[in-house]
Amino acid sequence: MKNRLFSLVTLSALCISLLLASCGRSSASAAPKTRKITDAAGRVVEIPLLVNRVVDLWPAHHGMVLLLGGADKLVGTVAMAQKQPWLQKLYPRIKGLPAVTGAGNDLNIETLLSLHPDVILMSYAGGMPSWMDKVAAVHIPVVLMPAVTFDDIKTTILMTGEVLGPKQAAAARDFAKYYQDNIDRVRAVTAAIPMEGRPKVLHSMQSGVLAIDGVESLIDNWINIAGGANAAFNVKGLGKIVTLEQVIKWNPDVIICGTAPNLANKRKIMSDPQWSGIKAVKNGKVYANPSGVYLWDRHSAEGALQILWAAKLLHPEKFRELDMKKETAAFYRRFFHYNLTDGDFDSIMNAEAPRH
Amino acid sequence: MNATLQKPSRTRALIVLFALLAVLAIASVFYLALGRYYVPAGTVARILLAAVPGSAPVSPRWQETEWIVVWLVRLPRLLMVVLAGMGLALSGACLQGIFRNPLVGPHLVGVSSGASFGGVLAILLSLPAAGVVGLAFAFGMLALVMVFGLSRLAGRAGILSLVLAGVIVSAFFGALVGLTQHLADPEAKLPGMVYWLMGSFAGADWKKAPIIGIPTVAAGIVLLLLRWRINLLSLGDTDAAALGVKVGPLRWGVLVLISLIVSAQVSVSGGVGWIGLVIPHFARMLVGPDHRALMPASVLLGGIYLLVMDCLARNLTSLEIPVGLLTALVGAPVFAFVFWKTQARGWGRD
Repeated sequence: MKNRLFSLVTLSALCISLLLASCGRSSASAAPKTRKITDAAGRVVEIPLLVNRVVDLWPAHHGMVLLLGGADKLVGTVAMAQKQPWLQKLYPRIKGLPAVTGAGNDLNIETLLSLHPDVILMSYAGGMPSWMDKVAAVHIPVVLMPAVTFDDIKTTILMTGEVLGPKQAAAARDFAKYYQDNIDRVRAVTAAIPMEGRPKVLHSMQSGVLAIDGVESLIDNWINIAGGANAAFNVKGLGKIVTLEQVIKWNPDVIICGTAPNLANKRKIMSDPQWSGIKAVKNGKVYANPSGVYLWDRHSAEGALQILWAAKLLHPEKFRELDMKKETAAFYRRFFHYNLTDGDFDSIMNAEAPRH
Repeated sequence: MNATLQKPSRTRALIVLFALLAVLAIASVFYLALGRYYVPAGTVARILLAAVPGSAPVSPRWQETEWIVVWLVRLPRLLMVVLAGMGLALSGACLQGIFRNPLVGPHLVGVSSGASFGGVLAILLSLPAAGVVGLAFAFGMLALVMVFGLSRLAGRAGILSLVLAGVIVSAFFGALVGLTQHLADPEAKLPGMVYWLMGSFAGADWKKAPIIGIPTVAAGIVLLLLRWRINLLSLGDTDAAALGVKVGPLRWGVLVLISLIVSAQVSVSGGVGWIGLVIPHFARMLVGPDHRALMPASVLLGGIYLLVMDCLARNLTSLEIPVGLLTALVGAPVFAFVFWKTQARGWGRD
């Protein structure tokens, strides 16, 4: 009995290894159909020459794929991305795509395999995704995209275009130029502003707790480009939890609320007696950060608009000719082929879902 | 068991209680004077004295911001921290008594996990602070009802069925907490949830103070009045019944009161662990196992312990450290030490 079982096991093992070997050989003979790309982690990744089936596991990144005209190549997504109301409106197909993971942390490998992806796209901020080894074992290439600085948004768009194909790569170059132009346009005015002319900006993301965005982050990057100074100068990184006393000590000139519900958080801060002594509250300078296809203030293509919005917010007298409504409408028309109504604009400014 | 009930002298217990009260008062003064925003101690004293009714009017020689920091930020937080510490330690002392088990804490009744689930659910749904408090409280009480129902289903009123029901309900709500976290946006919501679960008083204000204050004070007073009966319960069901105690109703009454206290605490400050489990052991070392002295001593010690930990949590760095982390970080090794030192005496086998 034991013997029989043993031979059965050896036999099946032999079959499997033969199968695997033949698989390996057949793909090796088709070798010239691939190209190489260096990703944000410095890995050289081999991807198919033609990429037609993409699984995107980075919620913030879906808007970028869409604006490059590559969204129809998506075959799998992450549940978090499917919940974004503006993405749903601009690209309804997203709701029907299979989600490989809830939030990008642990994926269902069998769902992934059933989608036969050419490539997986994911963010990289210094740590490998937990599922990296699992995916490497089934030979699906993963391209990691940079997600630390404000400049990384541009790099990510260019890298995405390169992965998706020549048409998308051209669109990416077009977008990158627009993005850089906006930065340069703002910098031309703000670069000369001395430290004492820069309002102290606190960017908070309250979700039950008082979390703020410190230096060495993309939030800090755009605050500086827009002519402000991060009030939380002695805290590093995103979403750090601080005491209210620390905020009172920083005494920011401007407070920007950056986590849903932005508008409700703004109202809470404005009406809370504990915050009433802070300069920004006294002067009514508490704002909700806009949010569209993705949160404007985070890793979003709309960072190109965020920089204009923040500059106008911090230095209205220096950016008098800048019309946010016009810029925003032009942006969505040019990159998402969508005509923004006045109601749409208000929803985006208040970080609300589109009104139907 | 009975051998350990030998009374330390009444005077000694009284002295210990007064000493603890004095320590609590001194610690409170330090708590109000220390913070990331510097307010001179004299100003703190003037702000507080000005609020004492009937006191000579003090000219407000302080800045508006100083008043906000002391009166709107530190004072409500101090009250909430002390009340939470007191309530948790008292709950632990009562539970260890009525379960006749030194390894029991408020987490056992399932109420903490129920309340935790309510809290993270509210964060997932982007509800405002009032929603977090409301749902945490509601689910905490729901957990108790489930424990009650389950142990009734078991058909026996014994301690074992109650403990089992508590474990089941805890596990169930623990899984729901995990599910909620799994569904949360990792960038925007998950950090808030994790932080809230670790326990913190960062959100303390005057609106939340009565939410923890009223249930804790009301239920706490009733529990303290019951301390003689809890003494009898700690003798065991049979002995207590022989002495004329209605074991079932009394035990459930105590559980309802404890659940009120624990839900109130979790709803305003998330999961603050270890106090209910550890503090009664220290109180027992100080005043002995008689609940008439043990319960008030636990109350005072619990208040002091959480106050000191929270003072560290908001002052050590420019960031806010979750106080629940500190209570466990300090509590666990200390508990291990006490357990090692005392395992041979005191609470032995039943």
